[in-house]
Amino acid sequence: MDRAIKLQLSTSEMNYFPDEVIEHIFDFIPSHRDRNSISLVSKSWHKIERYSRHQVFIGNCYAISPERLIRRFPCLRSLTLKGKPHFADFNLVPHEWGGFLHPWIDALSKARVGLEELRLKRMVVSDESLELLSRSFVGFKSLVLVSCDGFTTDGLASIAANCRNLRELDLQENEIDDHRGQWLNCFPDSSTTLVSLNFACLKGETNLSALERLVARSPNLKSLKVNRAVPLDALTRLMSCAPQLVDLGVGCYENEAEPESFEKLMAAIKKCTLLRSLSGFSEVAPVCLTAFYPICENLTSLNLSYAAEIQGNHLIEFVQFCKRLQLLWILDSIGDKGLEIVASSCKELQELRVFPSDPHDEEDNNTAVTEVGLVAISAGCPKLHSILYFCKQMTNAALITVAKNCPNFIRFRLCILEPNKPDHITSQSLDEGFGAIVQACKGLRRLSVSGLLTDKVFLYIGMYAAQLEMLSIAFAGDTDKGMLYVLNGCKKLRKLEIRDSPFGNAALLADVGKYETMRSLWMSSCEVTLGGCKRLARNAPWLNVEIINENENGRMERNEEDEREKVDRLYLYRTVVGTRKDAPPCVTIL
Amino acid sequence: MEKGGLGLEITELRLGLPGTEKMMKKRGFTEMIMTSSGSNSDQCESGVVSSGGDVEKVNESPVAKSQVVGWPPVCSYRRKNSCKEVSTTKVGLGYVKVSMDGVPYLRKMDLGSSQGYDDLAFALDKLFGFHGIGVALKDGDNCEYVTIYEDKDGDWMLAGDVPWGMFIESCKRLRIMKRSDATGFGLQPRGVDE
Repeated sequence: MDRAIKLQLSTSEMNYFPDEVIEHIFDFIPSHRDRNSISLVSKSWHKIERYSRHQVFIGNCYAISPERLIRRFPCLRSLTLKGKPHFADFNLVPHEWGGFLHPWIDALSKARVGLEELRLKRMVVSDESLELLSRSFVGFKSLVLVSCDGFTTDGLASIAANCRNLRELDLQENEIDDHRGQWLNCFPDSSTTLVSLNFACLKGETNLSALERLVARSPNLKSLKVNRAVPLDALTRLMSCAPQLVDLGVGCYENEAEPESFEKLMAAIKKCTLLRSLSGFSEVAPVCLTAFYPICENLTSLNLSYAAEIQGNHLIEFVQFCKRLQLLWILDSIGDKGLEIVASSCKELQELRVFPSDPHDEEDNNTAVTEVGLVAISAGCPKLHSILYFCKQMTNAALITVAKNCPNFIRFRLCILEPNKPDHITSQSLDEGFGAIVQACKGLRRLSVSGLLTDKVFLYIGMYAAQLEMLSIAFAGDTDKGMLYVLNGCKKLRKLEIRDSPFGNAALLADVGKYETMRSLWMSSCEVTLGGCKRLARNAPWLNVEIINENENGRMERNEEDEREKVDRLYLYRTVVGTRKDAPPCVTIL
Repeated sequence: MEKGGLGLEITELRLGLPGTEKMMKKRGFTEMIMTSSGSNSDQCESGVVSSGGDVEKVNESPVAKSQVVGWPPVCSYRRKNSCKEVSTTKVGLGYVKVSMDGVPYLRKMDLGSSQGYDDLAFALDKLFGFHGIGVALKDGDNCEYVTIYEDKDGDWMLAGDVPWGMFIESCKRLRIMKRSDATGFGLQPRGVDE
């Protein structure tokens, strides 16, 4: 425990205190890991911890069952659940793979758990589940759905209508069937508790008057992110009745904003002196970004990564005045020059994400970013600790410089758009560059590598990346040794995801016990065979070993006889509840 | 020139990666050059086709890269929502881009002006001055070309399966591709539940 309160007393001395006192002390320790450690100290601490645990994080919804969760933590109030593996984001996991919310809501409802908060990522959520949720938990306050699917605006209507104490409804990047119903109208007139409302991902039309009335009667509203269907004049009215906003996501503007409406917008924005975070801007004419100039110096967070219509020069003009920025998500249309300007203006920058505006380089894009931009940022922004960078090219020299400039990286994700691309000056592999990163950044927890890489980079990663928890590998390595270096070296590794790399059974089977210390392993288009996976499953009953095989017809073709058959996609994870029962036909659990 | 040559060489080496035969189909040099860009699923549309006059200045991202599923690792929500073309390609507006394998330019046609699949086949014929297309739409297995389309969800479907009304509502883009290239392209099969 590295919290402020470090107890010098031994357990036995502490047990002279009544349970309530011990529980009170535990209240100061919110971190899941610390609480897990506390619960291992003694039986009595385990019991006290159980009943006082209000927040639970489940990184893989199939690692445990809802019933067991509730048995252990009956006083649960806040639950975070993650479903599909990360590579589902890139269409590598079949739609029907799993990650269903319903069994959880069902169990929580039956057990009358006092659920207040639910945060989901990559789960399949149905309208039924949302309806059940809305009716089962009287004190329900907060629903956050990230990259989920399976529901419609009807489900949202139930939440709006039935959750009397709703404070937060945050929908991020979900696939929601928009029935263009009146879900916003379903918030009762008496509903005044909203603090955060984000429906940016809804594709359909929005009942503007319902929205305006809702915002007007929500004095505590701090965060509002609207969808594309909210035009400029509506936005002006919204901001006028919510000048207390801290976080704003903007919809779609008409291309030609009349000077009068534009001025009204600017006037409304000027009043939002508490505004710190801005996002959205899809389909927005560049001139509309300028309406935010009055408050841009206050911004700490700016997400323009969906603003495909705003050219680089407009982005640069705006960002250079955002001197307090800590978080910046932007498209590569900003270019290296733009990043150099960011580096000289945004000295507080902690997290940067640069996304590709043209992922397949169709337009032979010369404004995409290169190693030059990355080096500039690393030199100019001393507080930088997280980066996601899509670029055309990279060099070892640049990475070595970046490592020297920024030894504080916690997350370093580099994606060179063309697979296997070497150092574009020396034509060598990028082993040395990434090696420098892992050696310098002693606190590195997440790493994604790309470009031309041999087994050597994994030797470096295994040797130096002592704190690494998540590693993403694509089109890299030469032999099984590569994967083995990582499995043997990275003691804190929790998630390993590999695609299109020549790692096979020898690496997979070398240390089966390792997977019990990890949350999951993903391998697709690698060299592992059905036979290897079967052997793994036999030797590790605490794992679910899932094979996702899909032939061209979308039906699973089980070649049980041919153990030499290479496995398309392998996903394995530790679990205490054995084989799941809800796997679709295309998934075989060994 | 150098760019084109170097790009392809590197690609040739890459194709040999173990475990990747499935997605990297080896195509002849000429075929690679002649493939028009902007005609694969899961990517941003491009208004500009890179050939124009200089056929040998090949896009550095030939077939191999554009057929790799899930690469670059941009999440599907972001792909669907931040492409420049998303804002201008309005479903149901009528005009869709049509590309044909082997033809280095794209055409645009108004779906609304056709009354049915037969009509569409005829219109496509006229558009490209090629007689085989008409047959391809109606007659599944006998011809050199197949007509596929990208629907609202970003999936590639074989044209002719769904009722015409449903088709024009969901068709975002058309592509006429060689039958031999269609297998392994990842077309959504018939009868799959949505």
